[in-house]
Amino acid sequence: MSFQEKNIAVSLSTFTVILGFYLIRIFQLVQSESFNSTNVFRLWGIIALLAVIGTILATIFTHIAGGIVHKVRTNEDPHIEDIQDERDQIIDLKGTRVAYTFSSIGAALSMLTFVFGQPPLVMFGLLIFFGILAQIVADIWRLNLYRRGF
Amino acid sequence: MGKSHISNNIRKLRFFRDEMTQQQLAEKVGVTRQTIIAMEQDKYSPSLELAFRIARVFEAPLEEVFSYQPENELT
Repeated sequence: MSFQEKNIAVSLSTFTVILGFYLIRIFQLVQSESFNSTNVFRLWGIIALLAVIGTILATIFTHIAGGIVHKVRTNEDPHIEDIQDERDQIIDLKGTRVAYTFSSIGAALSMLTFVFGQPPLVMFGLLIFFGILAQIVADIWRLNLYRRGF
Repeated sequence: MGKSHISNNIRKLRFFRDEMTQQQLAEKVGVTRQTIIAMEQDKYSPSLELAFRIARVFEAPLEEVFSYQPENELT
């Protein structure tokens, strides 16, 4: 697995965990009847922080652990190809396009909740849900392009 | 997605260059080894610039390294 593929796999794992955490927290808020703007926007902040810090820490940890495993197995210093060449850039762009498409559809669906008379908090909740989901779908798409070619 | 219409002789040309490794070729043309692997497996068609860089490494004309096969001729 290349350096870029590892980064995508880490991002995919991190965002899957974040999505799980987000859904559990939303479920808990609804259960305890504390689904209000203060709690929902606080959750937004936590999710944003987790997404940034979690991804950075998970990436660093993965590469350190990968380097140690490589050294132990082969007794050679790990060679990290951390350059992003034209193929990586094209795959990244294709993934970003999928993420934009998915999040745009998600934003439109979120707006639809107004049609059904739902409060704005539901829309905000769905917006971040589709945002995280778009990132996950884009990462899966990128990994698929690395594996199958294009 | 999958097999490209552009095929290449990179593997063969590497062999005739004293079994040049994928890593050596990747460093010479400024891409990752994974990109060379993807090209050899016909899973990626390089940009024109990269194609010329590869041809220059092998000191061969572009047509000797890469060939194009239209879709209706693919078997």
